[in-house]
Amino acid sequence: MKSTILHLSKMLQSGEITSVQLTEQYISAIEKENPAINAYVNYTFDQARANAIEADKLIKEGRATALTGIPFTLKDNIATDGMLTTCCSKILQGFKPYYDATVWSKLKAQGAVLLGKTNMDEFAMGSTSETSVYGAPLNPIDKTRVTGGSSGGVAAAVCANLAAYGLGSDTGGSIRQPASFCGIVGFKPSYGAVSRYGLIAYGSSLDQIGPMTRSVTDAAIIFDAIKGEDKKDGTSVATPSGETKLIGDVKGLKIGVVEELTDGVNPEILQAVNGVIEAYQKAGAQVVKLSVPALKLALPVYYIIACAEASSNLGRYDGIRYGYRASNYSGLDDMVTKTRSEGFGKEVKKRIMLGTYVLSSGYFDAYYKKACVLRGEVEKQIKECFEKCDFIFAPTVPQTAFPLGYSGGNATETYLSDVCTVPVNIAGLPAISIPCGKDKNGLPIGLQIIGRKYDDERVLNAAYFAEKYGVCEDIQFDGGVKL
Amino acid sequence: MSISQKEIQTLARLSRLEFSEEEQEKFIPDFEEIIAFADRINGEVVGDTSSIKEVAARTIAWEDLREDEVTDSLPNEKITSNVEAQDGYFPVRRVVK
Repeated sequence: MKSTILHLSKMLQSGEITSVQLTEQYISAIEKENPAINAYVNYTFDQARANAIEADKLIKEGRATALTGIPFTLKDNIATDGMLTTCCSKILQGFKPYYDATVWSKLKAQGAVLLGKTNMDEFAMGSTSETSVYGAPLNPIDKTRVTGGSSGGVAAAVCANLAAYGLGSDTGGSIRQPASFCGIVGFKPSYGAVSRYGLIAYGSSLDQIGPMTRSVTDAAIIFDAIKGEDKKDGTSVATPSGETKLIGDVKGLKIGVVEELTDGVNPEILQAVNGVIEAYQKAGAQVVKLSVPALKLALPVYYIIACAEASSNLGRYDGIRYGYRASNYSGLDDMVTKTRSEGFGKEVKKRIMLGTYVLSSGYFDAYYKKACVLRGEVEKQIKECFEKCDFIFAPTVPQTAFPLGYSGGNATETYLSDVCTVPVNIAGLPAISIPCGKDKNGLPIGLQIIGRKYDDERVLNAAYFAEKYGVCEDIQFDGGVKL
Repeated sequence: MSISQKEIQTLARLSRLEFSEEEQEKFIPDFEEIIAFADRINGEVVGDTSSIKEVAARTIAWEDLREDEVTDSLPNEKITSNVEAQDGYFPVRRVVK
């Protein structure tokens, strides 16, 4: 059974199946199939069973919403009260938060069923999920390949139908890139549209939580459930309340195709992306060719800012209040240093060191300050670009899923795969990745639709066109009528 | 851009990290590569940046701050629930003789 939220919801509300039964089906599937793909790193089946009983009550009382009773998963960096949350790092081994992330509180209130926490790159730092202390998740489509990252576990779980949907986080592409590699839908909302309270911080000015689903309709259902201003996150903003209305009319829309996001992209991927754009044109959309020169610098700007913020955010891991603590040390300072040196993995240490470097006296002006200036320039040029178009269409990733271990040789090689996704985080924009075909090896290709800041609903609508009219046949369409 | 062993040690100290000799040898070329990557931005911003004060790309406006409301804080027993707390405190080895 490979079903969308919408489909399952109809089954639950018609009484065809109960949430308890549905949950047990997912639990058996996870127990059977997860060992082969390593998507989940921690099961929360007791929680799931309790959630399912509550959900069945809500349904019986006629108080259900579209996601009531539907089993899902959270990335391992989203805090769950009393349940392990480790960021897939040794330094947080055994850590049980004492509060819930706002997104989890909101879903729980609507009767969502939490199956477990899923695999990721350690502290979300990576593009393959291979830096996880639990080992890499495997791509269910081809187990010799990576899932992408950093929300690789969520992508694998949704792809293999070990969850109906999941929440990931996206700092430089970590929702969209694994969604692309695993052939699912991944939506990164505008910065501030969804509360980050309870999301373990990596780059606070870039991080955003979002849904990973099997359809655009499902992404809209989950976005509606988690969005909104939150007193506990000062950067969250009020977005238009109420339900996202999916219509899928693209007539008269202007689609921007940006040179810097298509240069050097694998031709097979470009062909798939162009095929979709042509379908939009046939339906009345116009195409505008554009250039955003500042995007050439988006990658180094992103890595400087993200690592600077990470070096500060990860300063809190000292072994005193939670998580791992070194056992042999000579004094308090030595305890902190040994705890961090033993607890963090190689990639995390490298990024902390780079962040410390760009913020240190003598280099601050040359790196961090310049990166912030260029960030402003990237934002400005993108804004100008949106004066000439409504959306930017681009590949999500210039490649399809890498073989496992591919990143081993060159330290910055995999950073380059983020070229189409990081500009979105730099400018705080909404963007969605939808599956738009397969390469000659049968690996999924992702199309990215980027919108103006706070145009989340319009981005979902633009993607919904592809779902509704079968432009992208890999997206599941379930009638599109919301309950 | 070459990075000396001494610079790595300074950065490690600031980062509260330590690397063995062997780790340092492996780390230096990796780190040089990532600095070279970051260095691509140099040459793009021409001139002096010292006059730039507003470097925080995401700031919260003063008027956007919420009222300072007094609310209950998390209970001590919850906050210390991840360690073997002693009388509600986080235990560390004695540092004062």
